[in-house]
Amino acid sequence: MTRMRDRITGWGFVAPALLWTIAFFVVPFVVMGAMSLATMKGRTLIWGFSFENYAELAEKAYLWRAILVSLEITLTVTVVSVLLAYPLAWIIAFRVPERWRRLALLLSILPFWTSYVVRSYAWLLVLAREGVVNKALIGLGLISEPVTLANTRFATVTGFVHFFVMLLTLTIYANLIQLSPNYRRAAMDLGANALQTFRHVILPLTLPGIVTGAFLTFVLCIGDYVTPQILGGNTELTVPQVIMVQLGRRADFPLASALAIVLMGIVTLAYLASARWLRLDRI
Amino acid sequence: MNRLQKILHSTTILTAAAGAASAQEELNALVWCDHTDPALIEPFEAAHGVKVNLREYEGTGAALALLEQSRPGDWDVLVIDGIDVFRAVEAGILAPLPTDQLPTGDFFPEVVMADNNSVDGVTYAVTEKFGYNTISYNSSKVDPVDMESLSTAWSEKYDGRISIYDYYLPVMGMAAIAKGIKTAEIGSDDLAAIGSELSTMRSHAASVAGVVAAQTALATGEVDIVVGGGEWLTAVLAEEQPELTWTIPKEGAVRWAQSIGVVAGTEKPDLALEFVKYIASPEGQARLATSSCFWGMPANAKAGEVLSDDQKAILRWDQQPDYLALTQLYPAPDADLDIEMQDLWLETLQQ
Amino acid sequence: MMRALPWAYLLAAFVFIYLPVGALVLFSFQSGSLPVPPFNGPSLRWYGEILGDADLMEALRNSLFVAFGSSSVAVSLGFLAAYGLARHVLPGSVFARGLLIAPLTVSYLIVGLGLLIVLTRSGLGLSLWTAGIGHVVINLPLAFAIIYASMGAQQQNAERAARDLGANEAQVIGLITVPILLPSIAAAFFLSVTLSWDEFIISFLLTRFDVTLPVEIWSLLRSGLSPRLNAIGSLVFLISITVVLFLEILVFRRRK
Repeated sequence: MTRMRDRITGWGFVAPALLWTIAFFVVPFVVMGAMSLATMKGRTLIWGFSFENYAELAEKAYLWRAILVSLEITLTVTVVSVLLAYPLAWIIAFRVPERWRRLALLLSILPFWTSYVVRSYAWLLVLAREGVVNKALIGLGLISEPVTLANTRFATVTGFVHFFVMLLTLTIYANLIQLSPNYRRAAMDLGANALQTFRHVILPLTLPGIVTGAFLTFVLCIGDYVTPQILGGNTELTVPQVIMVQLGRRADFPLASALAIVLMGIVTLAYLASARWLRLDRI
Repeated sequence: MNRLQKILHSTTILTAAAGAASAQEELNALVWCDHTDPALIEPFEAAHGVKVNLREYEGTGAALALLEQSRPGDWDVLVIDGIDVFRAVEAGILAPLPTDQLPTGDFFPEVVMADNNSVDGVTYAVTEKFGYNTISYNSSKVDPVDMESLSTAWSEKYDGRISIYDYYLPVMGMAAIAKGIKTAEIGSDDLAAIGSELSTMRSHAASVAGVVAAQTALATGEVDIVVGGGEWLTAVLAEEQPELTWTIPKEGAVRWAQSIGVVAGTEKPDLALEFVKYIASPEGQARLATSSCFWGMPANAKAGEVLSDDQKAILRWDQQPDYLALTQLYPAPDADLDIEMQDLWLETLQQ
Repeated sequence: MMRALPWAYLLAAFVFIYLPVGALVLFSFQSGSLPVPPFNGPSLRWYGEILGDADLMEALRNSLFVAFGSSSVAVSLGFLAAYGLARHVLPGSVFARGLLIAPLTVSYLIVGLGLLIVLTRSGLGLSLWTAGIGHVVINLPLAFAIIYASMGAQQQNAERAARDLGANEAQVIGLITVPILLPSIAAAFFLSVTLSWDEFIISFLLTRFDVTLPVEIWSLLRSGLSPRLNAIGSLVFLISITVVLFLEILVFRRRK
């Protein structure tokens, strides 16, 4: 009897959050799924059970190319960000004297709090032909003519990497700092050199942190509209950009929904691929 | 589901309550960014003691969908492409306008566009602003002579120095003009020719850019030519960078015109009409012409009495007769052709 | 040489991280009307303009309203759910946890699109409230996860002791659980505030006339290149880091 009451009170606590999630997340998601099977005839929406939108994704080159572009950009960003962030987190965790550690960490993630829309715009100014980078390279005599950096995939990737290096430095640092120094000492005592210690001891222990951070990077990056829209120069479109074009110019909700479902599918695949190491409830 | 509706309803009630707190009368307008300039809106708000709520939109298709899904009375005023007025009328979105109360007699005759703004003899909208999608360029970096012809403006010579304005209708219109196709006569059969011209353009372009990105690119030397640009792009920069200029090539260019009308079903028809009249008045016209988002020629010639000489010089007031004669209106595709054109546009961008 | 390498890397990383922020802030003091080299300042002209811009200031207030409102709801719901799941043995709790965390794996764009479809189809208008609903959806999982992770056995003993002394459930929560968990509740709340404060796409899709600051900045960005953007960006940065540093000093230092 008490157990029954305990359960009822328990669910009573969980219910508001669950109902909110169901009403404003699950229900819209199901409706979006149904929408992706509807079609547009002119401006009229016809509900139904048609795979026309998904067929279009395969037929129309600009649609499937958007999926490829999104994947390429996201994978590049994820890999580059991890490779850049890991040494940074490492240096802060193990090389910076303890009293400066928190400050160093804070400094390395502070620009995280620049407005997200403005950050991409700032990169546009930095990477412009007359921008800081070109001026500096010319000043150093490395190049004689300004190079085109803005409005390219390189610019999009740079803008993304900037953001995710900060995010990943934080997650990887949190992981590294939790490692007991005893592991390293023990490995060294057993005759492992620095590289072996890293490969066989540190890396496996920090893998969950890396994978969790990388997964977050993947999810946030592949669904982002602002960065490629501002920095990419529109010479290639990502899936979110195509979704926004469908919404903004034609209000083609069915096609936009189908694209969103595909995006979801890709994220699910990424989730399954990394599920072994993911610790989403421990971010 | 029931629960959901309850929650949704209670939040709407809260919203309604919050709205009721401000008893001031409000006018809801679906517009382009040039109408959001406080210098344009505030005099009207002050004169009538009302608040004007503004929402920007991107494409006509999306605006029509939004209006169709709204409840009657949600919207009062609509700003729309002149060539799309008939689509809005067909969808039952615009209410008739009393022509006798509007100063169309003072307008430049070429932009009254009665054919576009009325259906079956009933006027539903009035032209408020126009300008050109043509070639903007940096006169210190490119040979101005090359800009006088569409065959040389986006040629090999300027490979990587070009940005294309990111809106399919005017740019495809320019591609059509370059191929000798009249913008008003574009059909499915012409898309292959337009597409090949677009491909050429795209292959020499460094970027495809919206208003600001195109301005940035031109101002920072990222590119030297903007295809689809015009006074609306460079007027804002005129003071600091006079070398940024624009021209209409000998083959011609595309003319844009925007219209304003009252939304059918509005609960404030009088106030909405007052707003349209204000926008069409010489004062409203002058403010709209020099709005902070983009400049453009006022439809009402009397605005010339309000605008300063400098402003008129930037707008090239005196050259208008030549420009009007040389340019063609935006292409006005029907719904099916419109989708074909958008697909072709995205297809070409993604090459 | 090898010893200097980490420091060189650290320096290079900081240059990379601060490059855009530096350019942004520097050219916010530009006196001309273009935020590109050459720098011809310093001038406070653009700060004066944005502070006098009624739309921007209203958007700023809207953003604060949405951020604090949605975070309060997200943290309250997240706390209750965490308490329910950590303190009561419930059948299906794994499923409930999974469902609560699920929105975390979905792009904001998709959350926004789904809500947009439901809201427009059901004829309910868009407003700051609908954007707030969306923000609760994305922040609830984080708030829940952070608070759930910090619910350990030590607090449970204190709660049990209080219950034995005759406290009812509300008293236990109000007098024991919340005070003990305050650091993680505060962390969840302020994380939620910063995410909501800076969120763009959901607000963009789900608002109508009254918009949040990122949406207003976006329309500025689409409507004219200007050091105003640098100024507003620098100002937002200043506000955000003030909050962050304040927290660092107040909440996190104390915890140590």
